[in-house]
Amino acid sequence: MATPVVMPKQGQSVESCLITKWYKKPGDRVRKGDLLFSYETDKASFEEEAETEGVLLAVFFSEGEEVPVMTTVGVIGEEGEDAAEFDPRGRDGKTPAEEGKETTPGTAGDASPPPEAPEQRSIGDKQGEREEERIKISPRARNLAAQRGVDYRRATPTGPQGRIIARDIAALSVELPGAEAPPLQAGGDFEEVEFSSARKLIARRMHASLSESAQVTLHTSFDASSLIALRKEIKKDPERLGHITFTDMIVYAVARTIRNYPELNAHILGDKLRLFRRVHLGVAVDTERGLLVPTLFDADRKTLVETAVELKRLAKECREGTINPDYLTGAGFTITNLGALGIESFTPVINPPQTGILGVNAITWRIKEDKGEYLHYPAMGLSLTFDHRALDGAPAARFLQELKENLEKFIFLLCK
Amino acid sequence: MAKALFIDPKEARKSGEITFTNIPVNKYQKSLKEEQERFSRDDLFRIYRDMAIIREFENMLYVIKTTGEYHGIKYDYPGPAHLSIGQEAAAVGQAYLLDKDDYIFGSHRSHGEILAKGLSAIEKMSPQDLYGIMEKYFDGEILKVIEGQNKRKANIKETAVKFLLYGTLAEIFGRRTGFQRGLGGSMHVFFTPFGIYPNNAIVGGSAGIALGAALNKKINRKKGIVIANIGDGALGCGPVWEAMNMAAMGQFWKLWEGEYRGGLPLIFNFFNNHYGMGGQTAGETMGFEMLARVGAGINPEQMHVERVDGFNPLAVIDAMRRKIEILEEKKGPVLLDVVTYRFVGHSPSDASTYRTKEEIQAWQEQDPLLTYKEELLQAGLATEDDFRETHEYIRELLDEILRLAVDEKISPRFDLEKNPNLIGEYMFSNERVEKFDDRPCEVLIPKEENPRLQQIKRKIRTGIKDGQPVAKSKTYQLRDGIFEALLDKFYTDPTLIAFGEDNRDWGGAFAVYRGLTEALPYHRLFNTPISEAAIVASGVGYAMTGGRVVVELMYTDFLGRAGDEVFNQLAKWQAMSAGQLKMPVILRVSVGSKYGAQHSQDWTSLVAHIPGLKVVFPATPYDAKGLMNSALMGTDPVIFFESQRIYDIGEMFHPGGVPEGYYEVPIGEPDCKREGKDLTILTVGATLYRALEAAEILEKRYGIEAEIIDARSLVPFNYQPVLDSVAKTGRIILTGDACERGSFLKEMAQTISELAFDYLDAPPVVVGARNWIVPAHELERYFFPQPEWIIDAVHERILPLSGHTPATDFSLSGQIARNRMGV
Repeated sequence: MATPVVMPKQGQSVESCLITKWYKKPGDRVRKGDLLFSYETDKASFEEEAETEGVLLAVFFSEGEEVPVMTTVGVIGEEGEDAAEFDPRGRDGKTPAEEGKETTPGTAGDASPPPEAPEQRSIGDKQGEREEERIKISPRARNLAAQRGVDYRRATPTGPQGRIIARDIAALSVELPGAEAPPLQAGGDFEEVEFSSARKLIARRMHASLSESAQVTLHTSFDASSLIALRKEIKKDPERLGHITFTDMIVYAVARTIRNYPELNAHILGDKLRLFRRVHLGVAVDTERGLLVPTLFDADRKTLVETAVELKRLAKECREGTINPDYLTGAGFTITNLGALGIESFTPVINPPQTGILGVNAITWRIKEDKGEYLHYPAMGLSLTFDHRALDGAPAARFLQELKENLEKFIFLLCK
Repeated sequence: MAKALFIDPKEARKSGEITFTNIPVNKYQKSLKEEQERFSRDDLFRIYRDMAIIREFENMLYVIKTTGEYHGIKYDYPGPAHLSIGQEAAAVGQAYLLDKDDYIFGSHRSHGEILAKGLSAIEKMSPQDLYGIMEKYFDGEILKVIEGQNKRKANIKETAVKFLLYGTLAEIFGRRTGFQRGLGGSMHVFFTPFGIYPNNAIVGGSAGIALGAALNKKINRKKGIVIANIGDGALGCGPVWEAMNMAAMGQFWKLWEGEYRGGLPLIFNFFNNHYGMGGQTAGETMGFEMLARVGAGINPEQMHVERVDGFNPLAVIDAMRRKIEILEEKKGPVLLDVVTYRFVGHSPSDASTYRTKEEIQAWQEQDPLLTYKEELLQAGLATEDDFRETHEYIRELLDEILRLAVDEKISPRFDLEKNPNLIGEYMFSNERVEKFDDRPCEVLIPKEENPRLQQIKRKIRTGIKDGQPVAKSKTYQLRDGIFEALLDKFYTDPTLIAFGEDNRDWGGAFAVYRGLTEALPYHRLFNTPISEAAIVASGVGYAMTGGRVVVELMYTDFLGRAGDEVFNQLAKWQAMSAGQLKMPVILRVSVGSKYGAQHSQDWTSLVAHIPGLKVVFPATPYDAKGLMNSALMGTDPVIFFESQRIYDIGEMFHPGGVPEGYYEVPIGEPDCKREGKDLTILTVGATLYRALEAAEILEKRYGIEAEIIDARSLVPFNYQPVLDSVAKTGRIILTGDACERGSFLKEMAQTISELAFDYLDAPPVVVGARNWIVPAHELERYFFPQPEWIIDAVHERILPLSGHTPATDFSLSGQIARNRMGV
């Protein structure tokens, strides 16, 4: 009985592979285990062996063609058997994927049948698939990768049966500067410290954030003259309004600006956005145990003084470890300030599932031209990271622009 | 020299006939009255007492097995109980004249013989000697149990009787206070200080072992005789015939010299109860009609065989008296057909479906305990009161020892919770004993005058000189290494003997022993019949009775012929005796080649699988001599594998060649024969040299530096050097000449996978021989691992080699397919 040869699925994200070489041509006898063809993804190359015995009856894709995974690329059977029925492009030569593109899924009530799933292998199908999805790596290679701090998934396997072996990791790490350095010795050259549970959580979240979203950072700055002047005024009489920080003022401004940009006060949930009607802002606090982000609930309904008092309390509780965990969730957007540490610009990492985070930078002195005159002015940097999945660059930039305006004319905002 | 025995064709072809002398059958017919001159009243009554003790002891076990209690003492005993109820007269009669210097070996049904022999020894020993023995045995641990019960100082002989019964029962019940610390059990109780040597759960197993003990008595000029107590069923076992045949070898009379000339002090004593389990030997499963007949077939003396009435203790004593005289005159061996009958089944679960009630009843009517008692009464030597008193005493005695033996506190078992390795510690004795006796070694010429040694002196002790291989004729060979170590020990340990097929004159089939014939008298080096079972079993018996021995199986393939002797006897007695017995036996086995399917196999895995054997396989002259020296210094059984492919190989590795003097290579330590950083190759035996070739190719063609480790030993084995190497290289191939499936290489590969998993860059790969028959020499390269196979395995399984095209199939699918086919 004729058996289809299928382009294996190498990993979840791989949709198609390039056939690099056929080792057998139609008409060749094939034994089980014989090399049939090699193929590659953008990351690695693989070889496919015959799983059945017989004659290679047909080859549907030639070298250099890109083939969707799980598509039949050839047929093994006995001489004389008809292989044409297995041709995924049918007699007119179209892949199911291409068919799918043409027959765009219709509206409800569309009578056309959905595109068929690619040809499935019948024997050991599930098992085969699982195995192909696995990354094969020797224990030694895995350890070597960990030791050298390289990502073994980037290695090109050259071991038997597509296994990543030690030399593949070595090849990978040669590309890195310093890979030739003598191996470091624990005890003398360094010590290894286990992550605290807080650190582990941060590490997981940050890594997940970067690997699972499409983050873009926009940088701008605004003239902080009026903020500085206002702060100076308030400072003159601390008894009256208490201590107001730049962060307090920026939080106050963001809370009011963001109402016009619902995609930034939102959570991304797969293919959905949850747009918040209320404004709850996260404000990053540096503590001994690591970064904590308490939430200022209903930030847009609080006065500047209320904002200042509450943020102070939240920060204190975070540093003392007495913060109620309910105050560590629920934010739709986050503000983080590294300005006090002299940072001029950075790329803050979104706290998922939020869609944006605003980084506040240090004040630097800049020059601007105003009616032919050059003026010195204090510029405060703003770095907005947004998730490009949730919104595009232009609305994000517009948010920054409006925020900048509000901050430069903070007094108007206060009056609103 | 066997050459001295001229085989005259005229004699051989002469017409004539073989005549036999008549075999006496139950000739003893004396009455008790007639015997009173030879026996005191007390002796005659004690015969009854001993039979009654055995009867009640066995009855107690029967009742416990079937009802779970005896005289109200509850006990669940799930173990074996092959009882000898009915056979007491035969046992007591045999033991009557024996003392501690006479050794008995038994069967699965030997409780009666042990007790009879022990009671007889106690009777003959002085109280001081008895007490000394009991105090010494396990540092008085058993004695303390007995004495702990009697506050007043008891009569030492009475204490010794209790000691004997308790030690036996505690052993049957698997207690730490048993004679073998519970490691032997019912079928393996013994007590060597009374001359009671191991009983054997393998039918006929004692025949060959007793032969070895008799050799030990003779060669080391020790007092006493040896008896193999086996049943009539054992006559169906080949090894029993082998032992009888070998025990009657003509050379004892014709070739052994001086005081060593003459027969062995050995009795093959068949307790003929007419059944081998349920098979009736005379009539159903054998053709002899009367067992005694077979003695006539063994030698002209007809083994002095006779049938004796084992239901009459005095008839047995009479026969023993006459046979011991024959043995003392060096006219042994002797065969006795002692007629008896067991009243109960083979074991308590046997319903005796194979015999009639009438038959059992007919024998019970002649029960020795009834008939002998009647005779004592009639002769006026005892009254009913005497018997009542005796039975009372026995009941009390057994109640007491049973209470002690079932008490978990007084008679604990081994605490394997606290010390999980306790039994493991008994598997090997691991002692160093330079010699087992201090007397001078009997040799024919001074060591320096040995012609082989002089020849070796002219040889070059390295295999490579000035970068060139030394010619085979000039190089010191592997066989020379084995010879040197052996010769040395023959001049150090007077108890060392060697025997096997074609050892003397021929010098061993592979010339390892050439030069020993000139050096040693017959009794230290002799030829045996082609009887692998008897060769190994007699080695076992020789060693366990105190002496060192080297025995040989010409080809490993003949191991099957000595299966029980190697697997069950040689391997087990050290541990089953809880360290009481030592087993300094070296079993040399040669791995052949060129000779096809039944003469070319490496069976290391078979012996390595059996706990209790040390296994070595040297592949260089230096290692062969060093390992042989270690084996000859130790007290454990060592299976010494030698490869016929490399008997003539020179020393390629050890700088400076093979030392002339004494040195040891420790058993269990692998050795790095070639250093490398990319791949480890672990070899067993002669495959070392093919691995070296592979290493050269790997380096030259592919720039891969292979490290080669020669296992040298299989059991014990220190994995550390191999693990260190794998930590470095990350890759390992294991290769040897054994068929791959179930080979020791597979065992090692699995162990390395576990121990070095995190270091491995590929699974350990075994390159063994095919799971086929060994083909003709011309096809051997398709069967045994070749250098190219090793390279193919590297390419397919470990590290694809650029430009390499494999010639052999090391694909995963190929392996699956071969396994599916069973090859």
